[in-house]
Amino acid sequence: MPPSTDLLQGTLDLLILQTLEPGPMHGWGVAQRIQQVSEDVLQIGQGSLYPALHRLEYKGWIESDWGSSENNRRAKFYALTATGRKQLETELETWERLSAAIALVLGRNAEASA
Amino acid sequence: MRKEWLSRLRFFFLLAFEKNKRQGELDEELQFHLEQATLANRAAGMTQSEAHRQALVEFGGVERAREQCYEQRPGWRLGTVAQDVRYALRGFRRNPVFTITVIATLAVGIGATTAVFSVVDRILFRSLPYAHDDRIVSLGLVQSLEKQEFTLGGFFYEWRDNQKPFEAIASQGTMLHACDLVEANPAQLNCIQAQAGFLPLLGISPVLGRNFLPEEDRPSGPRVALISYGLWQDHYNRDAGILNRLIDVDGSPARVIGVLPKGFELPTLQAPDVMMPLAIDEGIERRSSPGHPMRTFARLRPGVNIAQARAEMEPLFNHTRDTMIPAPLRKDFHLSIRSLRDRETQDVQWTAWILLGSVLAVLLIACANVASLMMARGEVRERELAVRAALGASRGRLIQQTLTEAALLSIAGAAAGMVLADGLLRAFVAIGPTGIPFLKRAGLDSRIALFTALLSGLCGAVFGLLPALQTPRAAALAARATRFRNRAVLRRSLVVGQIAISMVLLSGAALLLRSFQNMEEQSLGMQTQGVLTARIALPGFRYDTGQKRMEFYLRAEAALRRLPGIRAVSFTDSVPPGGWNSGFRFSELTASGKPRPVPGSGGSVASRVVTPDYFRALNIPIVRGRGFTEEDRNGGDSFVVLSRLLAARMFPGEDPVGKRIQKGQDGPWSTVAGVAENVKNNGLTEQDEPEIYFLRRSAAEDWGMPAPVMIVDAVLPPKTVAPWVRSAIAGIDPTVPVETETLAQSVSKLAGRSRFETALLGFFAFCGLLMAVIGLYGVIAFMAAQRTQEIGVRMALGATRLDILRLIAGEGVRLIVLGGVLGLAAALGTAQLLKSLLYNVGSHDPMLYAAATLLLAVVALAATLIPARAAMRVEPVVALREE
Repeated sequence: MPPSTDLLQGTLDLLILQTLEPGPMHGWGVAQRIQQVSEDVLQIGQGSLYPALHRLEYKGWIESDWGSSENNRRAKFYALTATGRKQLETELETWERLSAAIALVLGRNAEASA
Repeated sequence: MRKEWLSRLRFFFLLAFEKNKRQGELDEELQFHLEQATLANRAAGMTQSEAHRQALVEFGGVERAREQCYEQRPGWRLGTVAQDVRYALRGFRRNPVFTITVIATLAVGIGATTAVFSVVDRILFRSLPYAHDDRIVSLGLVQSLEKQEFTLGGFFYEWRDNQKPFEAIASQGTMLHACDLVEANPAQLNCIQAQAGFLPLLGISPVLGRNFLPEEDRPSGPRVALISYGLWQDHYNRDAGILNRLIDVDGSPARVIGVLPKGFELPTLQAPDVMMPLAIDEGIERRSSPGHPMRTFARLRPGVNIAQARAEMEPLFNHTRDTMIPAPLRKDFHLSIRSLRDRETQDVQWTAWILLGSVLAVLLIACANVASLMMARGEVRERELAVRAALGASRGRLIQQTLTEAALLSIAGAAAGMVLADGLLRAFVAIGPTGIPFLKRAGLDSRIALFTALLSGLCGAVFGLLPALQTPRAAALAARATRFRNRAVLRRSLVVGQIAISMVLLSGAALLLRSFQNMEEQSLGMQTQGVLTARIALPGFRYDTGQKRMEFYLRAEAALRRLPGIRAVSFTDSVPPGGWNSGFRFSELTASGKPRPVPGSGGSVASRVVTPDYFRALNIPIVRGRGFTEEDRNGGDSFVVLSRLLAARMFPGEDPVGKRIQKGQDGPWSTVAGVAENVKNNGLTEQDEPEIYFLRRSAAEDWGMPAPVMIVDAVLPPKTVAPWVRSAIAGIDPTVPVETETLAQSVSKLAGRSRFETALLGFFAFCGLLMAVIGLYGVIAFMAAQRTQEIGVRMALGATRLDILRLIAGEGVRLIVLGGVLGLAAALGTAQLLKSLLYNVGSHDPMLYAAATLLLAVVALAATLIPARAAMRVEPVVALREE
């Protein structure tokens, strides 16, 4: 089952890391937050969210811990690690360079490069 | 059926994941997500069940997500391999016939290839046991009587001083010779001489002590010796105090200065017990031409190849040849530079390639067979695979599964193959001829094991990937029929290929068999049955004069003649038809009253020095005049007997009896006593040479070196006579070793190489044919089974059983004809390669090709008719109800 929105390879990782930046969050929360922030443009197929979370955890960029959710259910919370934070910076830089480049190619050397 | 598969697959997944401690956690996590989604949907106003349903829909495949989560785990691949292995093993257990067939087929292919490889490896590939072995060459002169490079003192020093392409050059003596270790525990040894630079050239240093010093390699230098590891170990019990000990070699003392490394062999492939300095006098050699003969080896400078070295040596060679060899003989001498590998194994390299090629063909057939079997199995399991694909197994995952099965099968095949290879190797050694170097020492070492592993890996990749490439997508569940067709095409072409390759092997084997038969059945011009040869090694230091040796031999002759049932006893220096014999140039013979022939012309003449009974012992008819008589032995006149061939060449149209001939410019004149019938005297396959027999008289000078061979012709079987001969000789001197052999045995040895090649190729052809036929049978049987329903319909519509037979068998016949024709074309194309191994057979002999084709056709047709008959017996009603 393909993700509902085609994201660039590696972009999902970036989105997750960015979403977790303010503080720990469970998987459902991550999905919701991305959807809200992107004003429903980016719908993360849950089918790819959890594999991505697990992948990031195996890479050591995020860590998980069991806690209580808002409605007092046991839930698994993910938080950025120090490496993850560094990785986020690198990925943001890469992303900015990339999007600037794409904007250039598309002939819109607008604010994106700023 | 489907349900069963589903439950089986579920079990399979559970099994695979049971070790995962995080399974519960993941479930809980996903469960939480779904609950949250349901809650959100409820909040949006859906009913509970609708909210839950919607949540599931949004999520997509839970099972798939779960699996993908597992796939993120490091080492997940490894886990799946273990899982595939377990799954494959269960599959093999369920289908033992398939498994055993595959492993047996692989074992034959891999085993035969491994065995042959271990034989040809040292001949073709393995590096030689010297430093920079790829740069060491054998260098020297060759001429019509000596095809192996040799040098002479005068040449050697000129070349050594003026050459440019080599960084080192050194010589050993021409041949290993017998020598005696004289001490309390005497032994007969093999000795060789070598220059001080010889071992360093080969990059060999003694394991104990040191190499010769330059001052020891001089005529008047101290007498020193290097001994072999074997001699040190067996004779001196690895005594470290051996260094500086004086040992008595051939009656004079030599100081042991070192021990050669274990297993050391000269580049001439001989293992010496004792090595002493060549110690030739450079000053004398330079003045005297041509000088002392020796075998010279050299190491090329880095970056210089043999062709360049040849080009650089040619002017030097021409110069030395023109100054040292008399003009009439010059054109018979050539320069030769060969790599050490060629020097050691050139004459068997071709055989090695042929054997390797044929065994690889067998392996190819075996792999094709296994691929075919795997494909057939894949077809049977198509539904299973389709279900797995439908449940989310990726294509890569299914290919991995198939490859895992292939890998397991090839590992098992390789293991069984190694066992088989060991057995085959023993058989090879048992029937192997003496002429194939290293055969006796061929063994399965780590290098061979690595080769086998590579081979089975390659084989597994072939038969694993072929069917794997056809792994069905989910669509295969529905559209099956068309896929069968495609696959059958691939399987059919495999069968055609197999038949074609077996055709090539069969015709090759037929050619070799015929050639071997020709060799065995040819007339040798003498009798071999009931003839015994005895080689008596008289210790040189006790029998040091011709007189002493003659007395010994004459006493032995007299003793043997007294034995019952002995028809003739004779001494000769060599025994036809093969092996060593002395000879000289035709041009050295002059007939009285005729002009001397042009020196160096006319090829060579074989010569033997025999006692009168020789012709009787071997039953060689005297066609003119007489043979030698007992009186001649003590008479003053010198007589010779010519072979018919020589008589015809020297005295065309005349009666040679009574003519006088002379050997050499100032040799004695002899009278031709008679003419003997021609005898095969140049090996079994070469053109006969003209031959001259000199009389071995009872005079000391006729009993020099080489030691004579005794020939005994007896009424009784040689088995009975051999012990009598031994005891008769022991009665004269019990310390003298005697080696007896029947002449039939030594002739059979000469055909050994041909027998070996024929047996091996025949065996390969047999294996190849067997496997090809099994493959053919499999395909036809499979296709017949697939068409059961069609056959039912045809019969219901009025087709007779014969029509059905024709339908199915026709399929087989098409494959056989196509494969046979392709194979025949390939066989005719490659027959040229066998040419050098054939004796008296044209490589395109039509009869042999017809025979091979007939054999293939009959066997293959039989393999087709069995399933075709089964198809013919199909009951239409049963067939139509099937499925």
